[in-house]
Amino acid sequence: MSRGLALGLLLVAPIVPVSQERIDRLAGAFRAQDEVLYLWSGEHVKRLVPGFESLAADIYWLRTVQYYGGQRRFAAGKPFDLLRPLIDITTTLDPGLEIAYRYGAIFLSEPPPTGAGRPDDGVALLEKGVQELPLAWRLRQDLGFFHFLYRKDAASAARVLMDAAEIPGAPFWLRTLAADLLARGGDRAASRRMWTQMFEQGEEGMIRENARAQLRALDSLDLADAVAEAAAEFERRHGRRPRALDELVSAGLWRGPLADMAGIRLRYDLDTGRVSVQEDSPMWRPDPIKEKNDE
Amino acid sequence: MGRGLSRILAVAANTFRETVRERVLYNLVVFAILMTLAGLLLGPLSIRQDEKILKDLGLAAMDLFGTLIAVFIGTGLVSKEIERRSLYPLLAKPLSRGEFFLGKFVGLGFTLLVNLSVMLLGLLLTLAAIGRRADPALLTAAYPIFLGLVLVVAFALLFSTLTSSTLAAVLTMVVVVVGRFADVIRGMREVLPGVPQQLAQALFTVVPNFANFDFKTRAAYGEAVPPAVLGWVTLYAAAWTAVVLGLGLASFRSRDFQ
Repeated sequence: MSRGLALGLLLVAPIVPVSQERIDRLAGAFRAQDEVLYLWSGEHVKRLVPGFESLAADIYWLRTVQYYGGQRRFAAGKPFDLLRPLIDITTTLDPGLEIAYRYGAIFLSEPPPTGAGRPDDGVALLEKGVQELPLAWRLRQDLGFFHFLYRKDAASAARVLMDAAEIPGAPFWLRTLAADLLARGGDRAASRRMWTQMFEQGEEGMIRENARAQLRALDSLDLADAVAEAAAEFERRHGRRPRALDELVSAGLWRGPLADMAGIRLRYDLDTGRVSVQEDSPMWRPDPIKEKNDE
Repeated sequence: MGRGLSRILAVAANTFRETVRERVLYNLVVFAILMTLAGLLLGPLSIRQDEKILKDLGLAAMDLFGTLIAVFIGTGLVSKEIERRSLYPLLAKPLSRGEFFLGKFVGLGFTLLVNLSVMLLGLLLTLAAIGRRADPALLTAAYPIFLGLVLVVAFALLFSTLTSSTLAAVLTMVVVVVGRFADVIRGMREVLPGVPQQLAQALFTVVPNFANFDFKTRAAYGEAVPPAVLGWVTLYAAAWTAVVLGLGLASFRSRDFQ
């Protein structure tokens, strides 16, 4: 290679990253994902890559994970608009990709800012997975869990868990959990059992982390209930409600922390005596049972 | 017969050396880089789907690179000899056109076999490097890929006896692409109900169904292809290859080189 050519290459090469950076800044770093909007369905993508559907599914799965991560970190408002079409295309290209159903359902169902906050889409995805992989008991178990945890539908959850229990290799406790749900309509203990199972079954990764976070949120709810119980005891003894939660400590009725698992102080409503997790805490979750009762 | 076979093998050995000289096996370097990068990057990017994606990627690369080699080298094997006029002194020797033609076929087939074997070994090594076991299912997917590639070589040789190497490459690619869509032809009546069933069936029969050689997805999930299926796929490939090679041979024999 002549010296002139080498010099020319050295001068031109740095233009590439600089121009890429400028294009990203002007057009948006994640604009490439938008192309998915021009694809009608997974079936159409499938037709474009005969013989390479599985590889195409892998590529779409990588893009789904990348898109989810990008939306969580960078997108203002985090609309997750393309999440459902990306997962649909992935699972149509490779209907056997169990992990896409399991993780995809979490991505879709978790409330913002963690996920898209569309539990109906999450359940629909798991139903598709259950149809494609009828012998995958974990998928059916997840479907049952999601019916209860995200849609507050204990009857459907129990029915699906009973179906899951029939699959060879499924654990026996699915049946007892289903019976519990039917008998009691579901309570926080059932939620705890489900998230504990998800935590114990999951390898290190998002499913396990999410289950751990959910269990900590339940711990926070339990803590709030225990503090509320102490406040009620205070009222019985003194004939009035405590003015602040610290008064429970000075009265010797509470020795533990007055903050949730994220370290954010519990909310105390002097008018009602209710103790709850602050809504701006990462430990806050809509309480399915309470919401169900409110309805 | 014995002498004929040794002459075919001599042409085949020469073809193998020629393809290696043309740096065909350089694709293995690309493959090695692809596997290394995939092995390093896929774990965190794919949420623990690295094994499945590595298998998909490895098998797809075997299929894709192999097809490109079969088409672009295969179509040049005979036509370039004609265009360069290097064929004439060869045929002046005690070497029949059939022996020359079959020797070319066997030579490129062997190149593809070596290429595929090294790729498979590379895939197994990459899987071992990320702590996964050697999956025998991969072998049951690689073998049909090889059968498909052999059929592609047969088509490439057939077309190269009929036309220029460029047009032969285009025609071979058309056959490969149409063959991968063979199931669309079979199901065309679902979209076009007016098409007679016999016509759809006839079209489906005269197009080689390359989907028959595709077990990549099954293998990626660790599911080995049953021996009976492999047996029938082998028979299907043998029949198609024999027919196409026969046509190519007939065309090559009848061609006037004056």
